Amino acid sequence: MAVYKRSYRAYEGPVTSPAERILVLARYAWAEAWASKITIALFILCLVPCLISLVGIYAANNPLVRSLINGKASELINVDAGFFLKVLSGQCWLALVLLSWVAPRVITFDLADSALPILLSHPISRFGYLFGKFLALFATLSIVTWIPCLGLFIYQGYTSTLPWMAGNLRIAFGILAGSFIWIILLSILGLALSAWVKWRVVATGVIFAAVFIPAGVGAIASAVLRTRWGFLLNIPYMITLVWQRLLGAPEHFNTDNFLPNGSIACMLTLACLVCFAMLNQRIRAREVVRG
Amino acid sequence: MGVIDLKDLEVRLANRVVLNGLTGELRGKAIGLLGPNGAGKSTLINTLLGFHRPTKGTASVFGLDSHLNRAEIRGKVGYMPENDSFIGNMSGVRFVRYMAELAGLPPEVALERAHEALFYVGLGEVRYRKVNSYSLGMKQLVKLAQALAHGPRLLILDEPTNGLDPVARLRMLQLIKDIRKEGSIQLLISSHLLRDIDDTCDEVLILKGGHLAALCNIEEERRSNRSFMELETVGATERFSVSVRGLGCECAVFPGGRIKLILPENVEVRDLYVIASEQGVQIRRMNQRRDSLEDIFLRAMDNDKERIANGRL
Repeated sequence: MAVYKRSYRAYEGPVTSPAERILVLARYAWAEAWASKITIALFILCLVPCLISLVGIYAANNPLVRSLINGKASELINVDAGFFLKVLSGQCWLALVLLSWVAPRVITFDLADSALPILLSHPISRFGYLFGKFLALFATLSIVTWIPCLGLFIYQGYTSTLPWMAGNLRIAFGILAGSFIWIILLSILGLALSAWVKWRVVATGVIFAAVFIPAGVGAIASAVLRTRWGFLLNIPYMITLVWQRLLGAPEHFNTDNFLPNGSIACMLTLACLVCFAMLNQRIRAREVVRG
Repeated sequence: MGVIDLKDLEVRLANRVVLNGLTGELRGKAIGLLGPNGAGKSTLINTLLGFHRPTKGTASVFGLDSHLNRAEIRGKVGYMPENDSFIGNMSGVRFVRYMAELAGLPPEVALERAHEALFYVGLGEVRYRKVNSYSLGMKQLVKLAQALAHGPRLLILDEPTNGLDPVARLRMLQLIKDIRKEGSIQLLISSHLLRDIDDTCDEVLILKGGHLAALCNIEEERRSNRSFMELETVGATERFSVSVRGLGCECAVFPGGRIKLILPENVEVRDLYVIASEQGVQIRRMNQRRDSLEDIFLRAMDNDKERIANGRL
């Protein structure tokens, strides 16, 4: 086509690779997510605890500040695995808030106007489509979880008078691995639930419900049946255990409710598989009506 | 090699045979896909795009298997679905650009072609408006623009005039004719409106109940059936009809000078004028009735009924 000629012209130029097309999906999904002012507001909210932690690390490593506060208070801002566990937990729960707003924006616009037949009629697979959306969520959640947490870790290493960083590399690994597990789980959950609920506000509520309602059910089951296995429905409990173990922080939950790593991994994998099944059912160019 | 090759194609959906034993080679510049509701038109399109897997046989587009090479096929095809299918939250130009990028165009080229495609289909002035705010006709046009933007080799239009008012319908048909005339794109147009297919296509595939009811070149079909004529004459009609019979025509005379005749292959229309002139007969009206697509369609439907009846016997 040429605007001035009002006539069609074929395209004979170069085309991008299939991997780049997945990035196109990710780029547009990212832009859609960040087009909202609420996303920006939530992002700023997510950075507030990091700023407070930054001040804490500064205070913990500054002799003048330490001398100004009494001994007990200075112990409170001891920068160790426990400190980073608190930071990571805070960031990850705020990431859930951000995700519950962003995930529906990323996918429901495509579903609301039945755009999937057009989207999937292009040289992109269903997996590629979902992977592109997943990348957008992964990037969005990364900038409020492991990136600021690792930034704080590096800052602590920089300001500490001791060779702190080399001796605490496990914390960095824990931050990275713990965040990745949480982000992957949340992204898949967010995509699956948003794909099934057309209304964005409802989808936001459903994402919260999917995390906290099974936790309540699990707690009731554990209390009634006097078993610890009910906690396998409690995602917040399981993920906190994972973070504690990855960072090497002391476990502050009741030892009677101990859950082995294997059972937690199985449960989180199962949750992801259920989400994949939901996505497989919903993300189709054409629905086949049975019966 | 045809544009589309079907070899004993069978597609089952939800344990129901939707397409059954379709075999044929479609070579036309603009191929019409006709059939009553539920005949399997959209299923055939979805199979060609790789959305459904054939349970038996094969379907290929430009020699590429519709299932094994679906990504490659989709890169060469522009698809305009029947129902609403767009991202309403995006502006027209952003939506078309997005689709062009997904088809593999670099971002700058995609943007340029998105503008061009929107101007081409007549949405240039509203390209910055959100697609949600478009009228039904504009939504159809934006779907056409996104199907064209990446320069496909085959354009698949599923009910392109669906829900359009007469003016918008004519505009859409004119666009399709223009695209066909330009020559670099082949068209597959699915419709249940015979007139639309008649206006735009040179080959037609007629489906009924998942079977191939007819596959024919519309022009050739018309040519082979254009010997039936109706005349309105003034003068010595009886004598004229006798002379016409002498040429080998089958002829029937009706009151008011009306004559119906069937021309054999070796007789030209000019011969009738010569006889009329010799006998002082005025030919006031001559209606050379050509088989319309409707006749072809109805005949295909009847043939299909007969075929089923014979099969039962």
